[in-house]
Amino acid sequence: MKRLIVAVLVLVLATGIGFAGGAKETPKAAPKIDLQTATWDQIVAAAKAEGEVTFYAWYFPDYFKEAGVDFEKQYGIKANVIVGDQTANFNKAIAEKDQPVGTIDVMIVGGQWVKTTMDLNLFYGPIKNVIPEADKLAPSLWEVQEGFLTRGFLAPFHRNQTGILYDPEQVKNPPQTWQELEAWIDANPKKFGFCDPSKGGSGQSFVHSVIAHTTGGLDKYKGDTDVVQSKVANWTLAWKWFQDRKDKLTITMSNNDSIIRLNGGEITMTVAWDDNVSDQMAKGNLFKRAKMYIPKFGLAGGGDTMGVLKNAPHKAAALLWIRHITTKEQQLKKFQMVKAYPARTDIAIEGTLLTEEDRKNNAIPWFPAPYKAFMISEFVKNVLMK
Amino acid sequence: MTSSLLTTPTPPHVLEARRKRWIYGILTVFFGITQILWVGIPVLMAVLWSLVDPQHPWSFPQLFPEKLSWAQWTYVFKYTNIVRALKTSYSVAPLAVLLSFILSLPTAYVLGRKNIPGKKVFMLVVLLPIIMPGMVVALFLSRVFAAFHLTQSFFGLVLAHTLMGIPYMIRVLTTSFEAIPQDIIDAAENLGANTFVKIKDIFLPMVRPGLLAGMVFAFTTSIEEFNLTFVIGTPTFETIPTILYSFLGYNFIRTNASVVALIMMTPNIILLFIVERILKADYLSASLGKV
Repeated sequence: MKRLIVAVLVLVLATGIGFAGGAKETPKAAPKIDLQTATWDQIVAAAKAEGEVTFYAWYFPDYFKEAGVDFEKQYGIKANVIVGDQTANFNKAIAEKDQPVGTIDVMIVGGQWVKTTMDLNLFYGPIKNVIPEADKLAPSLWEVQEGFLTRGFLAPFHRNQTGILYDPEQVKNPPQTWQELEAWIDANPKKFGFCDPSKGGSGQSFVHSVIAHTTGGLDKYKGDTDVVQSKVANWTLAWKWFQDRKDKLTITMSNNDSIIRLNGGEITMTVAWDDNVSDQMAKGNLFKRAKMYIPKFGLAGGGDTMGVLKNAPHKAAALLWIRHITTKEQQLKKFQMVKAYPARTDIAIEGTLLTEEDRKNNAIPWFPAPYKAFMISEFVKNVLMK
Repeated sequence: MTSSLLTTPTPPHVLEARRKRWIYGILTVFFGITQILWVGIPVLMAVLWSLVDPQHPWSFPQLFPEKLSWAQWTYVFKYTNIVRALKTSYSVAPLAVLLSFILSLPTAYVLGRKNIPGKKVFMLVVLLPIIMPGMVVALFLSRVFAAFHLTQSFFGLVLAHTLMGIPYMIRVLTTSFEAIPQDIIDAAENLGANTFVKIKDIFLPMVRPGLLAGMVFAFTTSIEEFNLTFVIGTPTFETIPTILYSFLGYNFIRTNASVVALIMMTPNIILLFIVERILKADYLSASLGKV
């Protein structure tokens, strides 16, 4: 027995030492072209000279792996797709921020991290003028992502929308108007869930709608670049709305936690992102009978973007990767594989979880970025901590 | 005669034995239930979730999945870098254990056998890397690693895992060194044992149970280490937790997370059983220095 253990240990140690050999590759020298003024052909040539791209994501490993294979086939450029955790991805990017050359070329940027990363000046850009057919990608998302200004630095690659997800066996007539929702929550204590807005965008969307309906709409915030105190003075009404129903609402820990609790029967109705729902359903984590809609009282939507890191070792390849992901073929492939709604506005899509009519009539835009950040901190203070 | 035998009261020692058996029985049942609740059910749930067929979700009010399949396993092996991660994890961990043992041994000896000023403070300082939040340690250490060009290198990764294993190794080895009776060392010295003989015949055999326990802690810490590996190792190196966190973190996918958790858990359980066997066989003899 002891001999066997010793033999195994020696073997493993030898493998480890052997492994130590050829892992690190020296990045190829970046071509000396100005990406802002270069033609697209020059950028493609530079990308090929760079030879590889490193992309960080935290979801859809299936689609991105396939997209990486397609990228290698088409351009002969190696695609390192790392699917990590959202927070860890950004912590890594921030940790490497001051290094002249980092290790990440391009990464997904979710709504929660837009403000932090833009404030930290993490991304190279603007890239809107560099990526071909940029005008075909959700125009508003090029400028604002979930309420935060992105000014053409972050490229939209899919759109998503929050809506109400429910179990049709338990909820026969889902609420459409604000009054109907209030009545439903009162009649079904703890059966309506939404995620803590500091943990996920679906919760932010719901709190955003509560503010809209309890404090007189969202129009008054349009164009503001900072929080105007007189406009948020009556947000106490929104916090009171939550406090009055504290025993009737279920606050979940993340976007996906809301879906998981619905699947487990703890709640029967929740606010969720359509792409999260499709993904969980496809992987057997949510019953197929689940239905989703955007209620008439309105819920906000958005999308995710990709940004090229300022200290990316392969900037041209990163731009080419974004172009690759936003081509018609890849946008359709992504929808077929993971049901994520394309960022391209020139593609007709059928078979979505939310109807086009719902998207057209009931999706609402976010209020400006400073209000969103204020909303999250005030919710924590006035609802979670009380 | 027969009736008097039947009415004879049961002797106290028999009653005592019965009571003990009853207590042991209850304790065994309690232990069994605890094991099932704490270990059995979570593992069983992970196994079941890993086998859920994507076309037949496991939902309320079903007690068990409607249909089982290998689809979730196929998905993880097809769409993640799990094989590469397995190779890296099981290459780094043994080297990290070896290095943490070599680096911890002198410190543990001094802390366990010598009276030095500030010993208690030092013992606390040693534990800091495991007390502080993982990502905070990772972010600060990554700067140091970058300054020494140790990021994105295999040696850097081994060193990072070694640093995370050292607190456990020092703590356990220190306790083992402390437990060695001084009279055995004195007797050996009286019989003419030099430093080398004392290390070979007294210290090493007697700290072996502690060493094995320290190795288990350091090994499992290395296998489960995420933050530092992610910051200084990826994209060149991925370990099993870097894959696990993609399903366990913000984008929680229970089915896929269960698969990766089981992949990570199984070798560790086997290792624990092996070490447990060695510990049982050697503990008594080692404690008496008769190995």
